Amino acid sequence: MKETKLLTRRVGKYEPPDLKVYEAQGGLAALRRALEIGPESVIEEIKRAGLVGRGGAGFPTGPKWAMVAGEKEGQKYLICNAEEGEVGTFKDKVLLDGDPWLVLEGILIGAYAVGAEKTYIYINGEYEQTIELWNKLVIEARKAGVLGDGILGSKISVDLQVVKSKGLYITGEEFALISSLEMRRAAGRLKPPYPTEKGLFERPTVVNNVETLANVPVILSEGVEAYCNLGVADEPGTRLFCLSGDVKKSGVYELEIGSGTLEEFINEFGRGTTSGRPIKAVQPGGGTSRFLAGESLNCKLTAQAIREAGSGIGTAGVIVYEEGKSAVEIVKGLMEFYGFESCGRCAPCRIGVVRMKEIVDKIFGGEGASDDLEQLRQISKACVEVSTCGMGQAFPLPVLSALELFPQDFEAAIEKVSA
Amino acid sequence: MYFRWVEKVKKFDIQTYQNLIKDVGGINVENLFVFMGKVQETFGCVPREVVRDVAMKTGFSEARIYGALTSYRDFKV
Repeated sequence: MKETKLLTRRVGKYEPPDLKVYEAQGGLAALRRALEIGPESVIEEIKRAGLVGRGGAGFPTGPKWAMVAGEKEGQKYLICNAEEGEVGTFKDKVLLDGDPWLVLEGILIGAYAVGAEKTYIYINGEYEQTIELWNKLVIEARKAGVLGDGILGSKISVDLQVVKSKGLYITGEEFALISSLEMRRAAGRLKPPYPTEKGLFERPTVVNNVETLANVPVILSEGVEAYCNLGVADEPGTRLFCLSGDVKKSGVYELEIGSGTLEEFINEFGRGTTSGRPIKAVQPGGGTSRFLAGESLNCKLTAQAIREAGSGIGTAGVIVYEEGKSAVEIVKGLMEFYGFESCGRCAPCRIGVVRMKEIVDKIFGGEGASDDLEQLRQISKACVEVSTCGMGQAFPLPVLSALELFPQDFEAAIEKVSA
Repeated sequence: MYFRWVEKVKKFDIQTYQNLIKDVGGINVENLFVFMGKVQETFGCVPREVVRDVAMKTGFSEARIYGALTSYRDFKV
Protein backbone atom coordinates (compact mmCIF):
# COMPACT_ATOMS: atom_id res chain seq x y z
CA MET A 1 0.00 0.00 0.00
CA LYS A 2 1.32 3.42 -0.85
CA GLU A 3 0.11 6.96 -1.06
CA THR A 4 -1.18 8.28 -4.38
CA LYS A 5 -0.61 12.01 -4.40
CA LEU A 6 -3.12 13.62 -6.69
CA LEU A 7 -4.77 16.39 -4.71
CA THR A 8 -1.91 16.81 -2.26
CA ARG A 9 0.90 16.72 -4.82
CA ARG A 10 1.67 20.44 -4.40
CA VAL A 11 1.25 20.49 -0.62
CA GLY A 12 4.54 21.64 0.87
CA LYS A 13 6.01 22.39 -2.58
CA TYR A 14 5.28 26.10 -2.50
CA GLU A 15 4.63 28.83 0.00
CA PRO A 16 1.09 30.15 -0.41
CA PRO A 17 -0.11 32.70 -1.35
CA ASP A 18 2.47 32.53 -4.14
CA LEU A 19 0.65 32.37 -7.45
CA LYS A 20 3.74 32.27 -9.68
CA VAL A 21 5.04 28.96 -8.38
CA TYR A 22 1.57 27.48 -8.50
CA GLU A 23 1.17 28.49 -12.12
CA ALA A 24 4.63 27.16 -12.96
CA GLN A 25 3.60 23.80 -11.53
CA GLY A 26 0.64 23.56 -13.90
CA GLY A 27 -1.88 25.55 -11.91
CA LEU A 28 -4.77 27.50 -13.43
CA ALA A 29 -4.61 25.32 -16.57
CA ALA A 30 -7.88 23.68 -15.56
CA LEU A 31 -9.60 27.04 -15.12
CA ARG A 32 -8.38 28.20 -18.54
CA ARG A 33 -9.60 24.97 -20.08
CA ALA A 34 -12.98 25.30 -18.33
CA LEU A 35 -13.43 28.81 -19.70
CA GLU A 36 -12.66 27.45 -23.16
CA ILE A 37 -15.02 24.46 -23.21
CA GLY A 38 -18.01 26.15 -21.58
CA PRO A 39 -20.10 25.36 -18.49
CA GLU A 40 -22.16 22.49 -19.98
CA SER A 41 -19.05 20.53 -20.93
CA VAL A 42 -17.54 21.10 -17.49
CA ILE A 43 -20.60 19.61 -15.80
CA GLU A 44 -20.60 16.80 -18.35
CA GLU A 45 -16.97 15.94 -17.54
CA ILE A 46 -17.58 16.00 -13.80
CA LYS A 47 -20.55 13.70 -14.32
CA ARG A 48 -18.45 11.32 -16.44
CA ALA A 49 -15.71 11.31 -13.81
CA GLY A 50 -18.32 10.14 -11.29
CA LEU A 51 -17.22 12.58 -8.60
CA VAL A 52 -19.20 12.25 -5.37
CA GLY A 53 -19.21 14.66 -2.44
CA ARG A 54 -16.44 14.10 0.08
CA GLY A 55 -18.12 15.86 2.99
CA GLY A 56 -20.03 12.91 4.40
CA ALA A 57 -23.33 12.48 2.58
CA GLY A 58 -21.69 11.42 -0.70
CA PHE A 59 -24.10 13.09 -3.10
CA PRO A 60 -22.91 13.07 -6.76
CA THR A 61 -21.43 16.46 -7.64
CA GLY A 62 -22.25 16.55 -11.37
CA PRO A 63 -26.04 16.16 -10.99
CA LYS A 64 -26.02 18.67 -8.12
CA TRP A 65 -24.35 21.27 -10.33
CA ALA A 66 -26.67 20.46 -13.23
CA MET A 67 -29.69 21.14 -11.01
CA VAL A 68 -28.46 24.60 -10.11
CA ALA A 69 -27.19 25.36 -13.62
CA GLY A 70 -30.69 24.53 -14.92
CA GLU A 71 -32.04 27.62 -13.17
CA LYS A 72 -31.31 30.31 -15.73
CA GLU A 73 -32.41 33.58 -14.15
CA GLY A 74 -31.37 35.49 -11.08
CA GLN A 75 -28.63 35.26 -8.52
CA LYS A 76 -27.08 31.90 -7.66
CA TYR A 77 -24.56 31.06 -4.97
CA LEU A 78 -21.77 28.60 -4.41
CA ILE A 79 -20.56 27.85 -0.91
CA CYS A 80 -17.39 25.96 -0.11
CA ASN A 81 -17.96 24.20 3.18
CA ALA A 82 -14.72 24.27 5.17
CA GLU A 83 -16.35 24.13 8.57
CA GLU A 84 -15.03 20.62 9.22
CA GLY A 85 -16.22 20.15 12.78
CA GLU A 86 -16.59 16.39 12.62
CA VAL A 87 -14.79 14.36 15.25
CA GLY A 88 -11.56 12.89 13.90
CA THR A 89 -11.58 14.83 10.62
CA PHE A 90 -8.84 17.25 9.63
CA LYS A 91 -8.26 16.61 5.92
CA ASP A 92 -9.62 19.93 4.62
CA LYS A 93 -7.09 21.90 6.63
CA VAL A 94 -4.27 20.17 4.76
CA LEU A 95 -5.65 21.39 1.44
CA LEU A 96 -6.62 24.86 2.69
CA ASP A 97 -3.15 25.47 4.15
CA GLY A 98 -1.00 23.50 1.74
CA ASP A 99 -2.58 24.17 -1.62
CA PRO A 100 -5.19 26.94 -1.32
CA TRP A 101 -4.92 27.87 -4.99
CA LEU A 102 -6.18 24.44 -5.98
CA VAL A 103 -9.24 24.91 -3.80
CA LEU A 104 -9.76 28.42 -5.16
CA GLU A 105 -9.50 27.10 -8.70
CA GLY A 106 -12.13 24.50 -7.85
CA ILE A 107 -14.42 27.17 -6.44
CA LEU A 108 -14.02 29.32 -9.57
CA ILE A 109 -14.67 26.43 -11.95
CA GLY A 110 -17.71 25.43 -9.91
CA ALA A 111 -19.05 28.98 -9.88
CA TYR A 112 -18.50 29.26 -13.62
CA ALA A 113 -20.19 25.92 -14.32
CA VAL A 114 -23.34 26.71 -12.33
CA GLY A 115 -23.36 30.42 -13.18
CA ALA A 116 -22.86 31.74 -9.65
CA GLU A 117 -21.36 35.20 -9.29
CA LYS A 118 -21.10 35.25 -5.54
CA THR A 119 -19.25 32.53 -3.68
CA TYR A 120 -18.41 31.99 -0.05
CA ILE A 121 -15.86 29.92 1.73
CA TYR A 122 -17.00 29.12 5.25
CA ILE A 123 -13.93 28.27 7.32
CA ASN A 124 -13.90 26.81 10.81
CA GLY A 125 -13.28 29.64 13.31
CA GLU A 126 -10.56 27.65 15.03
CA TYR A 127 -8.37 27.70 11.90
CA GLU A 128 -7.12 31.21 12.63
CA GLN A 129 -4.00 31.00 10.46
CA THR A 130 -5.93 29.45 7.59
CA ILE A 131 -8.34 32.37 7.61
CA GLU A 132 -5.46 34.86 7.60
CA LEU A 133 -3.90 33.02 4.67
CA TRP A 134 -7.18 33.03 2.74
CA ASN A 135 -7.70 36.74 3.32
CA LYS A 136 -4.25 37.32 1.79
CA LEU A 137 -5.04 34.89 -0.99
CA VAL A 138 -8.18 36.77 -2.01
CA ILE A 139 -6.25 40.04 -2.25
CA GLU A 140 -3.51 38.32 -4.29
CA ALA A 141 -6.10 36.71 -6.58
CA ARG A 142 -7.86 40.04 -7.18
CA LYS A 143 -4.52 41.59 -8.09
CA ALA A 144 -3.69 38.81 -10.53
CA GLY A 145 -7.12 39.03 -12.16
CA VAL A 146 -8.12 35.52 -11.13
CA LEU A 147 -10.94 36.81 -8.97
CA GLY A 148 -13.34 39.71 -9.44
CA ASP A 149 -14.70 41.17 -12.68
CA GLY A 150 -13.56 39.30 -15.77
CA ILE A 151 -11.55 36.36 -14.47
CA LEU A 152 -8.51 35.61 -16.67
CA GLY A 153 -9.63 38.07 -19.31
CA SER A 154 -13.06 36.54 -19.86
CA LYS A 155 -16.44 38.17 -19.28
CA ILE A 156 -17.23 36.05 -16.24
CA SER A 157 -17.07 37.71 -12.87
CA VAL A 158 -16.88 35.76 -9.64
CA ASP A 159 -16.48 37.16 -6.17
CA LEU A 160 -15.29 35.24 -3.12
CA GLN A 161 -16.05 36.10 0.47
CA VAL A 162 -14.06 34.48 3.26
CA VAL A 163 -16.35 33.77 6.19
CA LYS A 164 -15.13 32.82 9.63
CA SER A 165 -17.45 30.39 11.34
CA LYS A 166 -18.59 31.34 14.79
CA GLY A 167 -17.92 28.19 16.69
CA LEU A 168 -20.83 25.79 16.29
CA TYR A 169 -20.46 22.21 15.11
CA ILE A 170 -23.90 22.30 13.50
CA THR A 171 -22.84 24.96 10.97
CA GLY A 172 -21.15 22.17 9.02
CA GLU A 173 -24.64 21.01 8.03
CA GLU A 174 -25.57 22.73 4.78
CA PHE A 175 -28.83 24.32 5.88
CA ALA A 176 -27.38 25.45 9.20
CA LEU A 177 -24.52 27.01 7.24
CA ILE A 178 -26.96 28.78 4.96
CA SER A 179 -29.00 29.98 7.96
CA SER A 180 -25.93 31.45 9.56
CA LEU A 181 -25.00 33.37 6.39
CA GLU A 182 -28.54 34.75 6.39
CA MET A 183 -27.94 35.97 9.94
CA ARG A 184 -30.31 33.50 11.49
CA ARG A 185 -29.83 30.99 14.24
CA ALA A 186 -27.86 28.00 12.91
CA ALA A 187 -30.16 25.00 12.70
CA GLY A 188 -31.11 22.33 10.21
CA ARG A 189 -34.28 22.58 8.14
CA LEU A 190 -36.72 20.06 6.78
CA LYS A 191 -35.90 18.81 3.28
CA PRO A 192 -37.12 19.21 0.56
CA PRO A 193 -36.73 21.94 -0.71
CA TYR A 194 -33.03 21.21 -1.03
CA PRO A 195 -30.43 24.00 -1.20
CA THR A 196 -30.18 23.40 -4.95
CA GLU A 197 -33.76 24.73 -5.21
CA LYS A 198 -34.09 27.15 -2.31
CA GLY A 199 -30.83 27.78 -0.56
CA LEU A 200 -29.15 30.98 0.46
CA PHE A 201 -31.65 33.89 0.36
CA GLU A 202 -34.16 31.50 -1.24
CA ARG A 203 -31.93 31.19 -4.33
CA PRO A 204 -30.40 28.01 -5.81
CA THR A 205 -27.18 27.27 -3.98
CA VAL A 206 -24.41 24.72 -4.35
CA VAL A 207 -22.75 23.63 -1.11
CA ASN A 208 -19.60 21.58 -1.66
CA ASN A 209 -16.88 20.28 0.58
CA VAL A 210 -13.29 21.50 0.16
CA GLU A 211 -12.02 18.13 -1.01
CA THR A 212 -14.79 17.81 -3.58
CA LEU A 213 -13.92 21.17 -5.09
CA ALA A 214 -10.21 20.35 -5.04
CA ASN A 215 -10.99 17.31 -7.19
CA VAL A 216 -12.56 19.46 -9.92
CA PRO A 217 -9.40 21.14 -11.35
CA VAL A 218 -7.59 17.82 -11.15
CA ILE A 219 -10.27 16.13 -13.25
CA LEU A 220 -10.22 18.92 -15.83
CA SER A 221 -6.45 19.13 -16.16
CA GLU A 222 -5.64 15.40 -15.97
CA GLY A 223 -8.56 14.37 -18.15
CA VAL A 224 -11.51 12.19 -17.23
CA GLU A 225 -9.92 8.96 -18.49
CA ALA A 226 -6.75 9.34 -16.44
CA TYR A 227 -8.83 10.17 -13.39
CA CYS A 228 -11.13 7.19 -13.87
CA ASN A 229 -8.12 4.86 -14.13
CA LEU A 230 -7.54 5.50 -10.45
CA GLY A 231 -9.74 3.89 -7.87
CA VAL A 232 -12.43 1.32 -8.55
CA ALA A 233 -15.07 1.34 -11.29
CA ASP A 234 -17.90 2.84 -9.22
CA GLU A 235 -15.73 5.21 -7.24
CA PRO A 236 -12.88 6.70 -9.26
CA GLY A 237 -10.15 8.89 -7.89
CA THR A 238 -8.41 9.25 -4.59
CA ARG A 239 -9.54 10.14 -1.10
CA LEU A 240 -7.88 11.82 1.85
CA PHE A 241 -8.05 9.59 4.90
CA CYS A 242 -7.51 11.04 8.34
CA LEU A 243 -6.09 8.60 10.85
CA SER A 244 -6.36 9.31 14.56
CA GLY A 245 -7.08 7.68 17.88
CA ASP A 246 -4.95 4.94 19.40
CA VAL A 247 -2.33 4.68 16.66
CA LYS A 248 1.38 5.36 16.78
CA LYS A 249 1.37 7.75 13.84
CA SER A 250 -1.74 9.74 13.05
CA GLY A 251 -2.10 11.98 10.04
CA VAL A 252 -3.74 12.62 6.69
CA TYR A 253 -2.94 10.20 3.89
CA GLU A 254 -4.14 10.36 0.31
CA LEU A 255 -4.93 6.90 -0.98
CA GLU A 256 -6.34 5.53 -4.16
CA ILE A 257 -9.90 4.40 -3.43
CA GLY A 258 -9.98 0.65 -2.81
CA SER A 259 -6.19 0.25 -2.78
CA GLY A 260 -6.14 -1.80 0.41
CA THR A 261 -8.13 -2.87 3.41
CA LEU A 262 -8.90 -0.83 6.50
CA GLU A 263 -6.73 -3.02 8.70
CA GLU A 264 -3.74 -2.74 6.34
CA PHE A 265 -4.17 1.02 6.29
CA ILE A 266 -4.13 1.24 10.10
CA ASN A 267 -1.17 -1.09 10.46
CA GLU A 268 0.97 0.37 7.70
CA PHE A 269 0.36 4.08 8.00
CA GLY A 270 -0.56 4.21 11.67
CA ARG A 271 2.16 1.65 12.54
CA GLY A 272 -0.21 -0.27 14.76
CA THR A 273 -1.89 0.71 18.00
CA THR A 274 -0.22 2.83 20.67
CA SER A 275 0.29 0.10 23.22
CA GLY A 276 0.59 -2.76 20.76
CA ARG A 277 -2.66 -4.32 21.91
CA PRO A 278 -5.02 -5.44 19.14
CA ILE A 279 -7.63 -3.13 17.64
CA LYS A 280 -10.95 -3.21 19.44
CA ALA A 281 -13.08 -1.02 17.20
CA VAL A 282 -12.73 1.49 14.38
CA GLN A 283 -14.95 4.33 13.29
CA PRO A 284 -14.16 4.69 9.58
CA GLY A 285 -16.12 7.87 8.89
CA GLY A 286 -15.76 10.31 11.75
CA GLY A 287 -17.48 10.41 15.10
CA THR A 288 -20.97 9.77 13.79
CA SER A 289 -20.24 6.50 12.01
CA ARG A 290 -20.92 2.99 13.29
CA PHE A 291 -18.12 0.93 14.79
CA LEU A 292 -16.37 -1.81 12.88
CA ALA A 293 -14.70 -4.66 14.71
CA GLY A 294 -13.14 -8.06 14.12
CA GLU A 295 -13.76 -9.57 10.70
CA SER A 296 -15.29 -6.46 9.16
CA LEU A 297 -11.96 -4.62 9.44
CA ASN A 298 -10.92 -6.55 6.36
CA CYS A 299 -13.15 -4.44 4.12
CA LYS A 300 -11.66 -2.53 1.21
CA LEU A 301 -11.34 1.24 1.48
CA THR A 302 -14.31 2.03 -0.75
CA ALA A 303 -17.60 3.60 0.28
CA GLN A 304 -19.51 0.55 -0.88
CA ALA A 305 -17.34 -2.02 0.90
CA ILE A 306 -17.47 -0.09 4.15
CA ARG A 307 -21.25 0.24 3.83
CA GLU A 308 -21.51 -3.51 3.31
CA ALA A 309 -19.32 -4.10 6.36
CA GLY A 310 -21.91 -2.20 8.39
CA SER A 311 -20.67 1.36 8.65
CA GLY A 312 -20.25 4.41 6.41
CA ILE A 313 -17.23 6.16 4.94
CA GLY A 314 -18.62 9.59 5.83
CA THR A 315 -15.81 12.11 6.01
CA ALA A 316 -13.13 9.37 5.93
CA GLY A 317 -11.95 10.23 9.42
CA VAL A 318 -10.68 6.89 10.68
CA ILE A 319 -10.69 6.73 14.50
CA VAL A 320 -9.03 3.70 16.07
CA TYR A 321 -9.78 2.35 19.55
CA GLU A 322 -7.51 -0.31 21.00
CA GLU A 323 -8.36 -3.29 23.17
CA GLY A 324 -8.65 -2.43 26.84
CA LYS A 325 -10.88 0.59 26.38
CA SER A 326 -14.45 0.11 27.50
CA ALA A 327 -17.17 0.80 24.94
CA VAL A 328 -19.05 2.69 27.67
CA GLU A 329 -16.14 5.09 27.96
CA ILE A 330 -15.96 5.65 24.21
CA VAL A 331 -19.69 6.27 23.94
CA LYS A 332 -19.57 8.59 26.95
CA GLY A 333 -16.96 10.76 25.23
CA LEU A 334 -18.97 10.95 22.02
CA MET A 335 -22.20 11.77 23.86
CA GLU A 336 -20.49 14.57 25.74
CA PHE A 337 -19.47 16.16 22.46
CA TYR A 338 -22.81 15.78 20.71
CA GLY A 339 -24.74 16.84 23.80
CA PHE A 340 -22.72 20.03 23.84
CA GLU A 341 -23.22 20.65 20.14
CA SER A 342 -26.91 19.85 19.58
CA CYS A 343 -28.53 22.98 18.17
CA GLY A 344 -31.81 22.42 19.99
CA ARG A 345 -34.15 22.95 17.12
CA CYS A 346 -35.97 19.61 17.06
CA ALA A 347 -37.02 17.67 20.13
CA PRO A 348 -35.61 14.18 19.48
CA CYS A 349 -32.06 15.47 19.26
CA ARG A 350 -32.38 18.21 21.89
CA ILE A 351 -34.00 16.01 24.55
CA GLY A 352 -32.75 12.65 23.34
CA VAL A 353 -29.09 13.51 23.53
CA VAL A 354 -29.43 14.73 27.12
CA ARG A 355 -31.30 11.59 28.19
CA MET A 356 -28.78 9.36 26.40
CA LYS A 357 -25.92 11.18 28.07
CA GLU A 358 -27.58 10.77 31.46
CA ILE A 359 -28.03 7.03 30.97
CA VAL A 360 -24.48 6.53 29.74
CA ASP A 361 -23.11 8.59 32.64
CA LYS A 362 -25.21 6.53 35.03
CA ILE A 363 -23.84 3.27 33.66
CA PHE A 364 -20.29 4.62 33.64
CA GLY A 365 -20.64 5.90 37.19
CA GLY A 366 -21.68 2.45 38.34
CA GLU A 367 -25.36 3.09 38.98
CA GLY A 368 -26.78 1.39 35.91
CA ALA A 369 -29.97 -0.69 36.02
CA SER A 370 -30.81 -3.60 33.76
CA ASP A 371 -33.51 -1.77 31.78
CA ASP A 372 -31.19 1.14 30.95
CA LEU A 373 -29.80 -0.52 27.83
CA GLU A 374 -33.24 -1.06 26.34
CA GLN A 375 -34.13 2.56 27.04
CA LEU A 376 -30.89 3.74 25.44
CA ARG A 377 -31.68 1.67 22.37
CA GLN A 378 -35.21 3.06 22.10
CA ILE A 379 -34.17 6.70 22.40
CA SER A 380 -31.44 6.17 19.81
CA LYS A 381 -33.84 4.62 17.33
CA ALA A 382 -36.41 7.38 17.81
CA CYS A 383 -33.70 9.97 17.33
CA VAL A 384 -32.47 8.39 14.10
CA GLU A 385 -35.96 8.21 12.69
CA VAL A 386 -37.43 11.62 13.44
CA SER A 387 -34.58 14.13 13.60
CA THR A 388 -34.57 16.96 11.09
CA CYS A 389 -30.94 17.17 10.07
CA GLY A 390 -28.01 14.89 9.50
CA MET A 391 -26.58 15.33 12.96
CA GLY A 392 -29.62 14.05 14.83
CA GLN A 393 -29.94 11.15 12.43
CA ALA A 394 -26.31 10.17 12.77
CA PHE A 395 -25.04 10.68 16.32
CA PRO A 396 -27.00 7.75 17.85
CA LEU A 397 -25.48 5.35 15.31
CA PRO A 398 -22.24 4.71 17.28
CA VAL A 399 -24.34 4.09 20.39
CA LEU A 400 -26.54 1.57 18.60
CA SER A 401 -23.60 -0.23 17.08
CA ALA A 402 -21.69 -0.25 20.40
CA LEU A 403 -24.72 -1.90 22.03
CA GLU A 404 -24.76 -4.42 19.21
CA LEU A 405 -21.03 -5.20 19.09
CA PHE A 406 -19.98 -4.87 22.73
CA PRO A 407 -23.00 -5.68 24.91
CA GLN A 408 -20.66 -7.38 27.36
CA ASP A 409 -18.99 -4.04 28.18
CA PHE A 410 -22.28 -2.43 29.13
CA GLU A 411 -23.47 -5.48 31.02
CA ALA A 412 -20.20 -5.72 32.91
CA ALA A 413 -20.50 -2.08 33.93
CA ILE A 414 -24.02 -2.66 35.20
CA GLU A 415 -23.34 -5.96 36.91
CA LYS A 416 -20.26 -4.70 38.73
CA VAL A 417 -22.56 -2.40 40.65
CA SER A 418 -25.39 -4.75 41.43
CA ALA A 419 -23.03 -7.43 42.67
CA MET B 1 -14.47 22.36 22.07
CA TYR B 2 -14.74 23.97 25.49
CA PHE B 3 -11.91 26.43 25.10
CA ARG B 4 -12.57 29.70 23.32
CA TRP B 5 -10.32 32.69 22.93
CA VAL B 6 -11.94 35.65 24.62
CA GLU B 7 -11.16 39.05 23.15
CA LYS B 8 -10.92 42.05 25.39
CA VAL B 9 -14.11 44.08 25.36
CA LYS B 10 -13.62 47.63 24.13
CA LYS B 11 -15.94 50.60 24.29
CA PHE B 12 -17.92 51.41 21.19
CA ASP B 13 -16.55 54.27 19.16
CA ILE B 14 -18.19 55.62 16.07
CA GLN B 15 -15.02 56.29 14.06
CA THR B 16 -13.79 52.68 14.23
CA TYR B 17 -17.26 51.48 13.39
CA GLN B 18 -17.52 53.66 10.31
CA ASN B 19 -14.11 52.48 9.14
CA LEU B 20 -15.33 48.90 9.46
CA ILE B 21 -18.35 49.68 7.30
CA LYS B 22 -16.06 51.26 4.72
CA ASP B 23 -13.85 48.15 4.71
CA VAL B 24 -16.70 45.81 3.80
CA GLY B 25 -18.19 48.29 1.34
CA GLY B 26 -21.45 49.04 3.11
CA ILE B 27 -23.73 46.83 5.15
CA ASN B 28 -26.05 44.58 3.20
CA VAL B 29 -27.77 41.28 3.81
CA GLU B 30 -25.16 39.32 1.84
CA ASN B 31 -22.19 40.29 3.99
CA LEU B 32 -23.96 40.83 7.30
CA PHE B 33 -22.56 37.71 8.97
CA VAL B 34 -19.01 38.58 7.95
CA PHE B 35 -19.49 42.17 9.08
CA MET B 36 -20.79 41.09 12.49
CA GLY B 37 -17.76 38.81 12.82
CA LYS B 38 -15.49 41.80 12.17
CA VAL B 39 -17.36 43.88 14.73
CA GLN B 40 -16.93 41.10 17.28
CA GLU B 41 -13.20 40.91 16.57
CA THR B 42 -12.73 44.67 16.80
CA PHE B 43 -14.77 45.45 19.90
CA GLY B 44 -14.64 42.07 21.61
CA CYS B 45 -18.41 42.08 21.58
CA VAL B 46 -21.27 43.33 19.43
CA PRO B 47 -22.25 46.65 21.04
CA ARG B 48 -25.87 47.67 21.35
CA GLU B 49 -25.30 50.67 19.06
CA VAL B 50 -24.16 48.37 16.26
CA VAL B 51 -27.23 46.14 16.57
CA ARG B 52 -29.46 49.19 16.46
CA ASP B 53 -27.70 50.60 13.41
CA VAL B 54 -27.65 47.29 11.56
CA ALA B 55 -31.34 46.76 12.30
CA MET B 56 -32.11 50.14 10.81
CA LYS B 57 -29.98 49.56 7.70
CA THR B 58 -31.13 46.02 6.90
CA GLY B 59 -34.76 46.23 7.99
CA PHE B 60 -34.41 43.28 10.37
CA SER B 61 -35.83 43.69 13.84
CA GLU B 62 -33.37 44.10 16.69
CA ALA B 63 -34.86 41.03 18.31
CA ARG B 64 -34.04 38.92 15.28
CA ILE B 65 -30.44 40.05 15.24
CA TYR B 66 -30.06 39.42 18.96
CA GLY B 67 -31.73 36.05 18.47
CA ALA B 68 -29.15 35.08 15.89
CA LEU B 69 -26.15 36.56 17.71
CA THR B 70 -26.86 34.89 21.02
CA SER B 71 -27.13 31.46 19.41
CA TYR B 72 -23.47 31.51 18.33
CA ARG B 73 -20.79 30.68 20.84
CA ASP B 74 -18.26 33.22 19.55
CA PHE B 75 -20.50 36.28 19.57
CA LYS B 76 -20.78 38.31 22.75
CA VAL B 77 -23.56 40.85 23.14
